[in-house]
Amino acid sequence: DDGMAVGSDEDEGVEVRQKVVQIDLKEQEDFDRELKALLHESLESRKSEVRSRSTTLNMKVPMNVLESSKDPRATESESGEETVDEEGGNAGGGSKVRVKVLMKKGHKQQTRQMFIPSDSALVQSTKQQEAAELEE
Amino acid sequence: EEPPSGAGEDGYDYGKGDFVEHACRYCGIHNPACVARCNVPSCRKWFCNSRGNTSGSHIVNHLVRAKHKEVCLHKDSPLGETILECYNCGCRNVFLLGFISAKAENVVVLLCREPCLNVNALKDMNWDLSQWCPLIDDRCFLSWLVKVPSEQEQLRARQISAQQINKVEELWKTNPDASLEDLEKPGVDDEPQPVVLKYEDAYQYQNVFAPLIKLEADYDKMMKESQSKDSLTVRWDVGLNKKRVAYFVFPKEDNELRLVPGDELRLRYSGGTSHPAWQSVGHVIKLTAQEEVALELRASQGVPVELNHGFSVDFVWKSTSFDRMQGAMKTFAVDETSVSGYIYHHLLGHEVEHQIIRNTLPKRFGAPGLPELNASQVLAVKSVLQKPVSLIQGPPGTGKTVTSAAIVYHMAKQGQGQVLVCAPSNVAVDQLAEKISSTGLKVVRLCAKSREAVSSPVEHLTLHYQVRHLDNSEKSEMHKLQQLKDEQGELSSSDEKKYKALKRATEREILQSADVICCTCVGAGDPRLSNFRFRQVLIDESTQATEPECLIPLVLGVKQVVLVGDHCQLGPVIMCKKAARAGLAQSLFERLVILGVKPFRLQVQYRMHPCLSEFPSNCFYEGTLQNGVTVNERQTSGIDFPWPVPNRPMFFYVQMGVEEISASGTSYLNRTEAANVEKIVTTFLRSGVVPSQIGVITPYEGQRAYIVNYMSRNGSLRQQLYKEIEVASVDSFQGREKDYIILSCVRSNEHQGIGFLNDPRRLNVALTRARYGIVVLGNPKVLSKQPLWNSLLTHYKEHECLVEGPLNNLKQSMVQFQKPKKIYN
Ligand SMILES: [Zn+2]
Ligand SMILES: [Zn+2]
Ligand SMILES: [Zn+2]
Repeated sequence: DDGMAVGSDEDEGVEVRQKVVQIDLKEQEDFDRELKALLHESLESRKSEVRSRSTTLNMKVPMNVLESSKDPRATESESGEETVDEEGGNAGGGSKVRVKVLMKKGHKQQTRQMFIPSDSALVQSTKQQEAAELEE
Repeated sequence: EEPPSGAGEDGYDYGKGDFVEHACRYCGIHNPACVARCNVPSCRKWFCNSRGNTSGSHIVNHLVRAKHKEVCLHKDSPLGETILECYNCGCRNVFLLGFISAKAENVVVLLCREPCLNVNALKDMNWDLSQWCPLIDDRCFLSWLVKVPSEQEQLRARQISAQQINKVEELWKTNPDASLEDLEKPGVDDEPQPVVLKYEDAYQYQNVFAPLIKLEADYDKMMKESQSKDSLTVRWDVGLNKKRVAYFVFPKEDNELRLVPGDELRLRYSGGTSHPAWQSVGHVIKLTAQEEVALELRASQGVPVELNHGFSVDFVWKSTSFDRMQGAMKTFAVDETSVSGYIYHHLLGHEVEHQIIRNTLPKRFGAPGLPELNASQVLAVKSVLQKPVSLIQGPPGTGKTVTSAAIVYHMAKQGQGQVLVCAPSNVAVDQLAEKISSTGLKVVRLCAKSREAVSSPVEHLTLHYQVRHLDNSEKSEMHKLQQLKDEQGELSSSDEKKYKALKRATEREILQSADVICCTCVGAGDPRLSNFRFRQVLIDESTQATEPECLIPLVLGVKQVVLVGDHCQLGPVIMCKKAARAGLAQSLFERLVILGVKPFRLQVQYRMHPCLSEFPSNCFYEGTLQNGVTVNERQTSGIDFPWPVPNRPMFFYVQMGVEEISASGTSYLNRTEAANVEKIVTTFLRSGVVPSQIGVITPYEGQRAYIVNYMSRNGSLRQQLYKEIEVASVDSFQGREKDYIILSCVRSNEHQGIGFLNDPRRLNVALTRARYGIVVLGNPKVLSKQPLWNSLLTHYKEHECLVEGPLNNLKQSMVQFQKPKKIYN
């Protein structure tokens, strides 16, 4: 008898009047100092370590892996690809670029696909590079 | 050996809201895309990539503070479960790692800054070394590798400060498993942290309330387990369900907790020459007026029915209700779907933008089968239906049950799923269930397993009754097994298994087909409801529940909550003084009121003679209480009682007798008052009032026991008449009414405070139980020191109802009042 309509059940975005997060400057300074110290210490220890070990460096770009990965079927893909794809769209606003992350699993080389924002520093640098090469 | 108690009741997993393993150890965020694990073997804690209130993100904060340097990604992250390391040399120090990209392809790789990035040999290859992107940038992990949680996620997470981070990191150095809660843990002798009005987040809320609930639980356990009684005499009976029932008197001393139906007791026989030792656990199913306990035993075999003397009984304490409160708080904190975002912030006292529920309102606000609603009730229903959070204040006799039932009716008709209706007490739940059922809605009353044998006025609505009486051939298998179980007392283990499975399925089916499910607040934590979600929840008597108790029905997915109650009447009973002092006795309703939520007040009372409502209305409800009953409707023709003013059925009977400390040393009694209570009762009975119309109330257990005893020994009428009169504490009378109330104040001591009587809410309850007439007995000299009592006495005096002398010759009293003191003891 009451002609009820179904109420909207969405949790319509809650508007919480937020206090402005105030970072304690002293805390931040303190944190930065520790971070810097850690960085410095890491670098120094690596330098001495590497010198003493005189590591040989082997950083060939594994063209075989990359070549084969041009054919999607041959990509050494793992579950990661599917899950990532959903986020490939422009849903979140800024456009994204698909990259392959080269990794080692044990001694095997493999790639994983990822989407990174096209405005990220990493993509920007590649683009510039490409542009520069085109000009040449 | 005892069979295990009710299926599922024990061994229930409260871990529904358990901390997910990969939750950020600082803030609790557990979105796999947003977290990473510290890979130091002794640590392996997860952290998120949000900054919260600190300068660095949580994961970076941890790495810096703990000087840990290795990180592993979550298996559901884009790169899968991967330890971040240099592609070339395997270096895992995240502070040295960064991405570089290949010159031509869209290929990136992690490379360490030292030495790999600086090696000349690489320069000729395909890599672009000029743009090395550090993994940690601006004190945060690259957000496309480890996502930054959304603002919404961050708002609902624990709000941890930099100081807390430093403290907990310090703690982890000696105790890697410590939690943030350990930081706040008070020492054994410390006063617990008091409740506050606003909480940063649900973790802080839990940090405050969990220790208080623990204190109360410990106290309750200690109290109840110390209640063993020996040398009891037992008489035996068999119940309708063929179970053994033991009857015995459980002597009760002052201030001890009363037994209630559903309590579990262990009955023991320590063994003698004629019979070996025996014991069995059972549930209290009934308490007679003579304080005889009926205990239904769980095991029928081997009961020494030939014996009657020498039994002992112990209380079997159950942590269930406290466990469920703790569980609800945990769920509230870690499960973001437990309540809507709006309600989450609202309950924590955050400022939330006003929200309106867009529902088509019904044309009529009443409901079928219920009395017509009055104007304030209609307004209450209307306003509630449009708000996600509402408070309804129902002063005594204002019809809050009818209003609640109408609200539930309209909620159920909105098609948002089942409505959950709760109250802290079983009595209130039964009343509501009955009213809601009369609107034609399908109501299921869910009782605790321990109370299934306790008779209920809404038995036909209970789940256990419906399971037994479901008329369905498919269920005949279950009924056959049920019958077998009833007859033999137990089933073979395979039959028992089959029976339990069938029963569970039937219970589920019945629960799912209900429009409304009614249970106590604690009952909402019943495992049988664990897979149910309720968007709409109404809690009656919510001012008598502690906050964590109120939370139990809410964390099942609530989006719209209605709290009904009256913060001007008594709040929840807290036994542990420490917990009460810290504020556990403050209800959620009350806190919301203090936070500025305006309760909707029902304004027309249908209980009291207008003379009786005048003082409470002015004193407790700013004079807003209107009378829905007329003087004529409360006229008592044929009752010849010596009211000092004929048309005013009330008086204050001046008593100068001294108070005494009761035998137990923990309570008070007042013999003169007790003797006069008997005289008043006798006068009522002689004038034609029947015992069930009279209620005697007193704040003190010592006086209660003394009056019961005194009347049955000294009453000049038939003893049975006095036995039928209910003598109870003020507190236990809340929510109920009698035609005539006699209130014995007891305290009569010039030098000490008036204790229990000091609480205005207790006075309000005491004064608002009577429909036709009230007699107050007390010492004005003592009571007038307290401002509220002073005004009550003045009120009686002004109306020429302050009297003294023998009942058949009452004279106005000229006793002097004392100046009220502003201090409260
Ligand atoms: Zn760590
Ligand atoms: Zn975090
Ligand atoms: Zn390296």
